[in-house]
Amino acid sequence: MSDYRRFLPEGIPAAHMPFWESLKEHAVQVQRCDRCATFRYIPKDICPKCHSDLASWTAISGRGEVYTYTIVRRAPTPAYQEDVPYVLAHVTMEEGFRMAARLTGTDSERVRIGMPVQIAYEDVTPEWTLFIFQPVG
Amino acid sequence: MGELASVAVAGVHTTEQGDLSERTQSDVWWEAVRGACEDAGLTAGDIDGLVGEGPQGVPGLRETMPAAGLAEQLGQPVRFHARSSVGAASTASGLNLAAYAVSHGLAEVVVIASAVAGKSAGYASANRDVAVAHMSKLSGPYEYVYGTTRVSDYALLAMRHMYEYGTTSQQLADIAVSQRLGATLHPASVHGHRGELSAAEVMSSRMVADPLHLLDCCSINQGGGAIIVTRASDVAAIGRHVPVVLLGYGEGHSHIDANAVKSMTTFPAARSAADTAFDMAGLSRDEIDVAGVGDHFTIGVLIGLEDAGFCPKGEGGSFVEKGGTAIGGRLPTNTSGGFLSFSHAGQCGIFTLIEVVEQLRHEAGPRQVDDAGLGFISGVGGVQQAHSALILGRA
Repeated sequence: MSDYRRFLPEGIPAAHMPFWESLKEHAVQVQRCDRCATFRYIPKDICPKCHSDLASWTAISGRGEVYTYTIVRRAPTPAYQEDVPYVLAHVTMEEGFRMAARLTGTDSERVRIGMPVQIAYEDVTPEWTLFIFQPVG
Repeated sequence: MGELASVAVAGVHTTEQGDLSERTQSDVWWEAVRGACEDAGLTAGDIDGLVGEGPQGVPGLRETMPAAGLAEQLGQPVRFHARSSVGAASTASGLNLAAYAVSHGLAEVVVIASAVAGKSAGYASANRDVAVAHMSKLSGPYEYVYGTTRVSDYALLAMRHMYEYGTTSQQLADIAVSQRLGATLHPASVHGHRGELSAAEVMSSRMVADPLHLLDCCSINQGGGAIIVTRASDVAAIGRHVPVVLLGYGEGHSHIDANAVKSMTTFPAARSAADTAFDMAGLSRDEIDVAGVGDHFTIGVLIGLEDAGFCPKGEGGSFVEKGGTAIGGRLPTNTSGGFLSFSHAGQCGIFTLIEVVEQLRHEAGPRQVDDAGLGFISGVGGVQQAHSALILGRA
């Protein structure tokens, strides 16, 4: 039994699991449309651009720039409150789409929009790995 | 227009707002509905249509078939039920559904009500910690695993808006200040008794998720409200109030995941909802006298005014500055105090609607906007994910 007391993903459809399995491998993969090459994050049944239902799990660079962020000081539960202040960031990936995650590895007051970051991994339980962002370099 | 304008809000009622944990949902629901019927010069026995939720009771099908439960309570058939699902914009959308029913002869007197009370464990809880934890999971598993809250969801928008357009905390605070002033003039408001605010007080209140301070955030409380919708000609015949008619309506739905929209400062679905409503009404923005704009957080009002077309994108800050949304300002907005200072309970859009109706009736007392003849509502579902726009007029 894990003593991890923060929220774990619930209700993830089987079709999304390759993404979460790629996190466990520490080698993130994102759906990419077979027809028009648009990335689909979070995973989707059809492409929002061309409506094709065909996609392949595709490796991405894991690098991007902070699009926006916030510093959470009042957390949703006591377990998260142990982490405050923590940074939540939306990042524009090199491939052009955005991903959201915790940004760690820097003083929260030093985070800026436009800051280069890269994906890292946190194995939070034996079953689940989350991706996070860390400053480049 | 045309068909819709034959329909009016006939009655409104707001119950006590605050901690109603010792009461039940159905008790508060009926208080709101009886009050709205009385305000309309009607009785509960006149109701033959329901939009949204009915009075709950013992668990079971009352939640999935609320009009059947209401009919059982009334001892007579209810002829129409519909439900909209646009989050906090559901009441604004509900008025359109009610207008459809009345204008098509599917019902004569339709009630829309919201009531939140009791010791619910979810977002309806009177306990702030319980409600905050529950609502944090609305961002979905791809985000809530990181410890998101509703405040952090909106803070992301505010941070980006400040970056792109130079919007300031002071400008956001000005919205909270204006709305609190309205709340001090409304006896049912949850925060009015705390007195007026200064922008400095807003900006020195505890930071919750940068750049949003505690006083940039809506209340979390319980309460009820109801409106009665019927034919405008009947409202005029009863003669208790000036009919407030529906002149325009529009919706826009755009996304669920925040990373799925192109911009986190511009929400085109809000614009298209407003455009649809203004086109239907044949009116322009500068004819609007009073507004209600989804204000879960101050930034929501600023972005909402921009996206609904009341000022160019990026100029929301200068629009709201120094009382632009205050009573007597450029566009008095959320004049009861809104979700920030009046009430944020259940389908809280009901309170936005009730306030605009009271303004257009010229029954807003010390909050009254001079000569208010046309009102605009931009209801917001979630974090700018869905919108409904309403234009109401004093008949």
